[in-house]
Amino acid sequence: MASDNILVIGGGPTGMEAARGIASLGYKVTLVEKRPRLGGTPDASQYAALTPDLRSAEEAIGEMVDAVTNKPNVNLMLDTTVVGSSGSVGNFKVKAIQSGKEITIDAGAVIVCTGFTHFDPGRETQKYGYYEHDDVITLVDAEKMLKAGNFVRPSNGEKPKRVCFIQCVGSRDRQIGNEYCSKVCCGISSKQAIEIRQVVPDCKVFIFYIDMRMYGYWENEIYWPAQEKYKVNYVKGIATEIVKKGDQLIVKGEDTTLRRPMEVPMDIVILAVGMEPSEGTKKVADIFGLKKNKYGFIETTGGPLNTVSTEVPGVFAAGASTGPSDLEDCVSSAGAAAMKAIASLRAAVPA
Amino acid sequence: MAAKNTLDLSMNKYADVPYEEKERLFEEMKADHRWNHVLYGCYECGICVAACPSARFYDFSPRVIAQAAAREDVDLVYTLMNDSVWDCSQCFSCDRCPRQNSPGQIITVMREVAVKNGLKTAKEALEGYGRIIYKIMSTGTQVSPDMLQPNAFPDWGGHVKDISDNLDVWRKALPPETLHTTETGWQITDKTIIELYLIWHMTGVMKLIEGVDEGLFMILVDVMEERLEEAGYDNISFD
Repeated sequence: MASDNILVIGGGPTGMEAARGIASLGYKVTLVEKRPRLGGTPDASQYAALTPDLRSAEEAIGEMVDAVTNKPNVNLMLDTTVVGSSGSVGNFKVKAIQSGKEITIDAGAVIVCTGFTHFDPGRETQKYGYYEHDDVITLVDAEKMLKAGNFVRPSNGEKPKRVCFIQCVGSRDRQIGNEYCSKVCCGISSKQAIEIRQVVPDCKVFIFYIDMRMYGYWENEIYWPAQEKYKVNYVKGIATEIVKKGDQLIVKGEDTTLRRPMEVPMDIVILAVGMEPSEGTKKVADIFGLKKNKYGFIETTGGPLNTVSTEVPGVFAAGASTGPSDLEDCVSSAGAAAMKAIASLRAAVPA
Repeated sequence: MAAKNTLDLSMNKYADVPYEEKERLFEEMKADHRWNHVLYGCYECGICVAACPSARFYDFSPRVIAQAAAREDVDLVYTLMNDSVWDCSQCFSCDRCPRQNSPGQIITVMREVAVKNGLKTAKEALEGYGRIIYKIMSTGTQVSPDMLQPNAFPDWGGHVKDISDNLDVWRKALPPETLHTTETGWQITDKTIIELYLIWHMTGVMKLIEGVDEGLFMILVDVMEERLEEAGYDNISFD
């Protein structure tokens, strides 16, 4: 029998926005999340402030959580992991494990919002020594410290005097296999650079980059202020190696525009790790028979004109499950997916 | 034509100069009232270099000037203040920057700081202008055929020396009689020259010159004091 319910898998920003949109149009939605709480990666990784507006992540994500909690038409299922599916558009029978118990969810259409995972710098091909040096950290680690309001050197708890970011770690790299740009890291590094300059004003901050990708308003909202107001040093050139000297780190690279090699001491090195498909994205893609691209993200079918339809009728994908995305992308594609899911439901189950 | 010499941007070029001294000069640059209108941030895009005539001739880059200043790289700014700013023609072709920087005006500020602080390199760079400054300041806004020091301006071409050697003959070869002069371009009235001397005295220009070229300063003072005294200004002192 046909179902008038839409299943949204994943309770991050994309899934919450898709569910909110569907419910607000008067359709039934089941939002499943494998963690015991909503919020997705911004919550799980304790993001401090959002890019580009530096708004408190807790506050912004909190609003999204409220918009789908105890709301008409929204059936919220936490601690629930999708494990299987049968049926087709209009009539999916989705198997899930909820708090250890197997259940079946009926759905006319499905939106996959299973997101990304941060690149693990243990796999980088340069020699940055993330697992070797305490003071080599990632954007994710830095974000946690900034949220706690305590930005210090992990090795000794002291305030840093020199901090650098290394961009494109795990992105744009044929050797690693991630040839794509992760899209958000330039903005997040610049945002964190501003925050570091705010909390440790006498700390010099450097960003070593290949290209700065600060599209649209990110240019004047983050990049220019970082440079002009906060005096963050942008140096075109990527470090090849980090070595320890005394209690400092020496970053080796090239200052390409000045045509000179560079060996500079740093107190903290922040690796701007990119995005990879989450385990959930890869598993859910397999469960629904969705095609994945060579990087493991879910492939959508319509190129730039349809960013949410998959090869399986009635199954849509949105946000970072389809590739590197910023929050604007996530929320926009969530809306597009909600609209298309409702349309497919109405075609399958005439009102 | 090949560059005159190569600009050394290595980090230890002026390692013997204390960092505090470099920082002091940089702070003096930043304190200039023009600073916030001539420097924002630098993309390092090179549009200024593409437009720069000096960059065609010298190993000179207005981009490096802007990026060093924007990065607040105190060591590099010091190197450039010594070794690079004098290669700029001050034509301001670089004023097409998308960030609205003006590398040329950054250089103006840097040059003034270099001169005010009597940097050795500033003195050397200005050596070639001794005759020009003497001519302009003693005779009043003159451009005259004999004011070029032939060895100081390689970008004017090798023939400058040949012409200078027999300047008198070359000038006489020009048809209009008014061009037969070598030492002056035109007559300046007494009133004009006295007013110019007074302006230079009151605005501190002579102090600047004393800082970079004491010999030139003394010659100018001799000329000016005598003329001023004749005009009744016998209480003016340049010391």
